[in-house]
Amino acid sequence: MSRIEKTSEKLTRKFKTNKGLSHFYALFDAIDKFLLTPDSTTIRGSHIRDSVDVKRLMTTVMIALTPSLFFGFWNTGYQHFLSYGIQAAFWKCFGFGFLKWLPIVLVTYISGLAVEVFFAQIRKEEVAEGFFVTGMLIPMILPPEIPLWTVAVATIFATLFAKEVFGGTGYNFLNPALVARAFIFFAFPSVISGDSIWIADKADAFTGATPLADVALGNISSLPSIKDMFLGTIPGCLGETSTLAILIGAALLIVTNVASWRIILSVIIGGLAAGFTFNLIGTTPAMSIPPYYHLLMGGFMFGAVFMATDPVTSPHTNSGKLIYGLLIGILTVVIRVCNKGYAEGMMLSILLMNVFTPLIDYLSIQRNINKRVSRWNSAKSNKNSR
Amino acid sequence: MQKTLYKVNKGLDIKIDGTALFQTDEYHTDIYAIRPDDFHWITPKLSVEEGDQVIVGTTVFCSKDDERIRFVSPVSGQIERIVRGEKRHINHIIIKSDGKLNSETVNLPEIISKETIIDTLLKYGLWTFVRQRPFGCIADYHNSPKAIFISCFDSAPLAPDYQFILNGYENEFQEGINILSKLTGGKTYLCLDSKRDNSFFERTKNVDLQYFSGPHPAGNVGTQINRISPINKGEYIWYIEPQYVATIGRLFLNRQLDFTKTIAVTGPVVGNPRYVKIINGASLKDAFTLKAVDKSGFETDETRFISGNILSGHKVDNECFIGYYDQQITIIKEGGRRRVLGWMYPGLKLWSNSNTYLSKFITRKSYNVDTTLHGGRRVMMFSDTYDNVFPMDIMPMELLKACVTKDIDKMEELGIYEVTEEDFALCEVVCPSKTECQQIIYDGLTLIREQA
Repeated sequence: MSRIEKTSEKLTRKFKTNKGLSHFYALFDAIDKFLLTPDSTTIRGSHIRDSVDVKRLMTTVMIALTPSLFFGFWNTGYQHFLSYGIQAAFWKCFGFGFLKWLPIVLVTYISGLAVEVFFAQIRKEEVAEGFFVTGMLIPMILPPEIPLWTVAVATIFATLFAKEVFGGTGYNFLNPALVARAFIFFAFPSVISGDSIWIADKADAFTGATPLADVALGNISSLPSIKDMFLGTIPGCLGETSTLAILIGAALLIVTNVASWRIILSVIIGGLAAGFTFNLIGTTPAMSIPPYYHLLMGGFMFGAVFMATDPVTSPHTNSGKLIYGLLIGILTVVIRVCNKGYAEGMMLSILLMNVFTPLIDYLSIQRNINKRVSRWNSAKSNKNSR
Repeated sequence: MQKTLYKVNKGLDIKIDGTALFQTDEYHTDIYAIRPDDFHWITPKLSVEEGDQVIVGTTVFCSKDDERIRFVSPVSGQIERIVRGEKRHINHIIIKSDGKLNSETVNLPEIISKETIIDTLLKYGLWTFVRQRPFGCIADYHNSPKAIFISCFDSAPLAPDYQFILNGYENEFQEGINILSKLTGGKTYLCLDSKRDNSFFERTKNVDLQYFSGPHPAGNVGTQINRISPINKGEYIWYIEPQYVATIGRLFLNRQLDFTKTIAVTGPVVGNPRYVKIINGASLKDAFTLKAVDKSGFETDETRFISGNILSGHKVDNECFIGYYDQQITIIKEGGRRRVLGWMYPGLKLWSNSNTYLSKFITRKSYNVDTTLHGGRRVMMFSDTYDNVFPMDIMPMELLKACVTKDIDKMEELGIYEVTEEDFALCEVVCPSKTECQQIIYDGLTLIREQA
């Protein structure tokens, strides 16, 4: 046994037996298991187990998020300096964005983990890893100028009412990160809508409208170029602007099988199909933009890759995943095109389909059941006819 | 002769060191044991006491629910000890052999019919080898099975080769088949691996040969039944391992009550992996040598002895008694070493079926696995991981959920009658949430039996 293992064992005993410290056992345990893999061995059933665990899968998601995150740092700074007409150096932009992001992410993790650890302690369970990803996602889908107290309130609300009341990670039926965003959207609409919030410390003269806002207002001509939208040098939430960075993350998630390619692909197909259908109608400017613009604008790709694929809140069956993804894509574009009041449809369509996930799964399960029951019945009637 | 090939696409072959060499040694010991827990849902009613003399075929205990189901001594000698656990639960009945193998005299019926065969098998304690699906327990002889399945290959890690084991027992095997096929109105299936040499089994008459290809669990009888003749509610299928077919054949052919079987001694830490010929229930503690300390600093006392394979076998103590139905013992390292920031490793040397470890992309010949759980228990979340290793037309996660929630109607509709816990062993192995799938299925089956 190495020295670090011995230290951990000694501390574990202390946290378990000491009256005062035992209140913090869940917190200690989470840190301990973070630093060292658990020493448990198989007791019943199979004697060997796969090296993979939920921590590993969540870590993979975190790694997949880093390209978008790093691009977001740079872009936040770039947009800021652009609004003043300054050509800032790469590291200056990056540093500016990082300093904007840091307080938001700290507030998210502290407020969210406080709730998680508290519940883990009273349930006498281990702290689940789900929140590490949620806490990473929340700052990435918020504008850089978001007031920190709204972040704290929204994170606590989402962790409590979207997750813990149902039993914690794995029992929730809504994506907690999106619940946090939806909470801010409905409770404090002024901090997450309008043209002034998408660029950090924006110069007043600069418009700062996102492409989606342009589309909603019919200003198709003022849309950024396709290249800018694909690379992500446009105003928007911290992590969602660069389609390229998201695609790099998506590639990792698909190769490692952590996210379902079926969902990602079907969301894209659904969005394109809806966009194409609106092209055929084409009565408003929003209806007539090329379908692939929808993929590049707003949080479409970020939602498709990192939000819709949440294994807990998406359907379990392959056919169910396709239906779920298609409907998310279609609904997003429908909301974007038909609803002038709210430019972005990704968040609400994923949340809506999260609600429908049990129904989609129910249909797949029922199909399996029906097949079996009809086999039973035909076997029975065969027997009787003999 | 019919020849059909069933392709099993989903599943997983776990490559580990320590396959048995094709070499059979005789192995003698004087300590034998019967473990009532090998027989699911049987409450033992003892017929002997410590110190009693027994011969081959003497009833040691019978089932409390049906006293005709008897469990007999495989050797002659003396009942040395009855090892009890909590609440006087019988763990082992240990028999000390006198080495003489005196046996009860065998009287065969004059007319061979279904009833007389069952009576004979019950009388000499061989009925216990015949098991049934649903439930995977000793077959209920009141039922008439729609078919009998004999899986002639084991696809589990390090499993023995049945054709090698049975070589030289053609007549006994054929006689066993002749006897068993009288028990069903349906067919007797021999399920073979299309990629192996099957000349031994192909010579067998009175059977229906079916070929399978693909990874484990292609050799599990559950998978084979699900493909060939899925069980409907109220139907029964009986199954038996090929070695015990020969045991039954020996009784009818030679009037001999002989519980000899050949098993494989396997595992990454075994110094001399090979086949040994034993009598069922033998203590195998001297049947193997363990490799000395390896590079990772492992010591020989940190080993786990498993009767059966690493997926669904059970842990045994140092005496290493072979389980009643088990065809191999596997010895692996005990795990439990903690790694600093383990979730960050690229994972070149760790075995995983998940693409999050680099080892998945690099073909290694085999892995030296241990019993580390690799993570904490979480809620079941990732259904894909189950689906990829579960070849039956059943939704594994939904069935597990039905079992956890004790919803019997759902369990039935989702196919609980078609599975036993061994079918869920691979799901359990690959589960990132470390769910105890086999226990959940066993508890589900127990619940159904209690309600019935």
